[in-house]
Amino acid sequence: MKSLCLTLLLLCTTVELNAQKSEDFIPMDAVTVFSINNISLLQKIPLDELIKYEFMEDLQQELFDGSASGKTIKDAGIDFDQKFNVFYGMNRDYSVTGFSFGINDLSKLFGAFDDFDEVDSPYEGVQFYSSYFNHLMVRGNIGVLLRVDPISTRVYDISDSTWYARGYSDNRRYNYYDDYYEDDYEEIPETYDEDSPAIEMEEYGEDVYNVEEALEEIEESGDYIIEEDYAPHKNFYDLKDSIRTALRREYLLKVSKELFIDGQNLRKSDKVLAEQLTHVVEGVFYLDNERNILKTQPFSYYSDLMPYLIEDITSLYKNNKIVGDIRLKEHSIEANMTSNYGDALGTIYKELNSSKFDKKMTKYIHKDNSAYFTYNVDLGKAYEKTYEIIMPILKKEKSRMVSSSVLAIEMMNAFLDKDAIFDMYRGGMFGSFNGVKKVPVRKLVYEYDEDFNYIETETFEEQDIPIFTLGFSTNRNDIPAIFMEQMSNMNSEWQNMGKYWKIENAFLNSVPLFIINHGGMFIMTNNENLAVNNPDGFGANKLTRSQIKATKKSGFLYGQMNTSKIIDNIPRTWMTNKQIDMLNAMRTKSGDMQLTSSKTSISKTDFKLVYDFKGEYEDSGKHLLDLVNSLYVIMK
Amino acid sequence: MKKVYLFLTLITLFTISSCIEIVDDISINQDGSGTFKYNINLSSSKVKISSLLALDSLDGKKIPTRAEIQSKIDHFITVFEGKEGIKNVQMGKDFGNYIFRLQCDFKSVKLLQEAIKSTVKSEVKGNEDFLGDNVDWLIWKEGSFERSVPEFSIKKVDRLNEKEINLLKQGSYISITRFDRLVKDFSNKSAVMAKNKMAVMLKSNAYSLSQNPSLLENTIYLSPLKP
Repeated sequence: MKSLCLTLLLLCTTVELNAQKSEDFIPMDAVTVFSINNISLLQKIPLDELIKYEFMEDLQQELFDGSASGKTIKDAGIDFDQKFNVFYGMNRDYSVTGFSFGINDLSKLFGAFDDFDEVDSPYEGVQFYSSYFNHLMVRGNIGVLLRVDPISTRVYDISDSTWYARGYSDNRRYNYYDDYYEDDYEEIPETYDEDSPAIEMEEYGEDVYNVEEALEEIEESGDYIIEEDYAPHKNFYDLKDSIRTALRREYLLKVSKELFIDGQNLRKSDKVLAEQLTHVVEGVFYLDNERNILKTQPFSYYSDLMPYLIEDITSLYKNNKIVGDIRLKEHSIEANMTSNYGDALGTIYKELNSSKFDKKMTKYIHKDNSAYFTYNVDLGKAYEKTYEIIMPILKKEKSRMVSSSVLAIEMMNAFLDKDAIFDMYRGGMFGSFNGVKKVPVRKLVYEYDEDFNYIETETFEEQDIPIFTLGFSTNRNDIPAIFMEQMSNMNSEWQNMGKYWKIENAFLNSVPLFIINHGGMFIMTNNENLAVNNPDGFGANKLTRSQIKATKKSGFLYGQMNTSKIIDNIPRTWMTNKQIDMLNAMRTKSGDMQLTSSKTSISKTDFKLVYDFKGEYEDSGKHLLDLVNSLYVIMK
Repeated sequence: MKKVYLFLTLITLFTISSCIEIVDDISINQDGSGTFKYNINLSSSKVKISSLLALDSLDGKKIPTRAEIQSKIDHFITVFEGKEGIKNVQMGKDFGNYIFRLQCDFKSVKLLQEAIKSTVKSEVKGNEDFLGDNVDWLIWKEGSFERSVPEFSIKKVDRLNEKEINLLKQGSYISITRFDRLVKDFSNKSAVMAKNKMAVMLKSNAYSLSQNPSLLENTIYLSPLKP
């Protein structure tokens, strides 16, 4: 009987372990989640290609040492019947990055993740492996790869307080190792004892360590309270490193305990994500903007100074969550996204997005462009609504800084001619990219005579310049005209050419910028063909009727790009080497990407991104990752 | 200090991502005094540099604004012109074409070298040996003049990718040494003598130079002074 019970108990445990789902291991701190359902699509993708994606950026540094080269996801022992969940999040103490997934062959997994060493696990039934700052936790058939990093300002604050609490002053704060070895090494006092508890933590893998306890222990021991200003064994940076290591471990244990012991996870705590995860699609994504907004610089900085104000402001973002489905079709991938928001923000957005489409814009977009977008917002209405909602919140804050800002805003609101401002920039905007053009760019070279005396000579060299146009509709062409007239009086590079203005060398110090300012449009471009030959629009070469229809039909936002034209032509000057590698990897792909939006209601706006690829379906895994990556970059 | 280091980082960034032309021109009088000119011409990369300057950062490195660069150069020059034996310092800055021209008169070659070294040393803390503290790259003796280039650049090149190396190959470094008397001979076989026989020129591309700084090493032997 006893053995039967034991067998049943073991059976139940096994069933329970195997019933675990990877999506139940997304930490509650995750703000962005991408969950790929149909990961069989990714089977053939080489791991070294996968780790080039931006969404792997935080993990990839120590994840693979090159030994993954040539291996695919299929070789990594990952269970294709489970979801693959990539997550990223940040709170005031730490950031958390990683992914959770199903495992069907642990030995294969470590064939790919071969840098990971098993370490003592603090939790029964959970195996812990670590490699530098990455940690892999395995329970049953589930793996979670996790990286937790304390926020730098938090580490600094604790280090700073500890430093001063110990009685050290600034004199020893910034010493260098060199100084230490040269000047102080021989003078280490006898009270220093190597067996004393050290603050520094070696790599994760030692005993469970609590930073608070460690600090208390050190205080009590008194060994480290040495003569004033004398801290030869550690400078401030050593201390900070030790505290960072201790905090990293503490936060890692917190997150892993929540996941594996307390059974807390984002799916459980957030109904929106839970609902999204039930969708039968290739992938879903989720961004909690309510929490995401808190990590942005101004909010994060002022949250300590003006907590109530920041609380009020962030409450505007209540329920502001962006969720979406990714669907894979025969020759296209679709991402349907919904941006949800609360009443306050919804009211502002509804007013903002209530502008009518200005058809005049389409005259200035060439039908063969590489990419273009239109954006229709009513800034006047949005301003009024924002003023109505934000000002009462600001007025409640009694700090001098906010009050003076409120005063300035109220004065401007009273005295400025808002009608003129919002008539000048009504809110309709467009932009287009027309590839690159070889343009002669002036350069100087040295010419030497036979005695090596030299003079600078002007020559021209053809260089690739991106051709773009940016314009907006206006009811007040007279206002920019006043400005340009005066500029031309002061600067000879500003020239009135009749139907357009030309500003020499204004674009990248090399080529002219043209301004078209008439007929209710204000346009800046470096497209000479548009300004000189088509200042009233491209005529028969403007957007086609079907293109206009699609553009007009969309809500406040519409965008379209020809992927292959963009990949081939987009200037790489300002890209990182990694981004250039990504672009080069996508070079073989071709297709069109189209972004449309719905009308904005008080609670949401829908967006749809369609990527029509011309490649084979079996390459769709790569296309899917490209799209996930694009969304990740936009949302992060 | 940090600002100057940032400036040097910026120059390095531009150097490795742009086609650069450097002319290093030194004229020496018989008493060892002379004029030093150093021109950096980045005009063939001005589109790229203008694009870079439009950014806040690239690959995690902060990109300073034009005003910050201007102020850093001004500061550097102020320090330099305060050095012993240096006078008439002029700095031409053409931000339209990204050409920078430094010119100064010096009392002796030794003081010129010391001035450059100590200016860099005082402004770049932690990189005291940036220009090779114990290495003389300008040695003037009666009847001969030895010159080379500092080796600091070679350390950076190991980390460059193929694209950056190709750009360096397009760049050039020209070293001209002028005298007020005839040149008798010189040691570097790649050097060229001026028609008036009073100047010697050496040319290399930036990449080759970074790999082998000795390319521009040259000992120039002079004719005896005319009575």
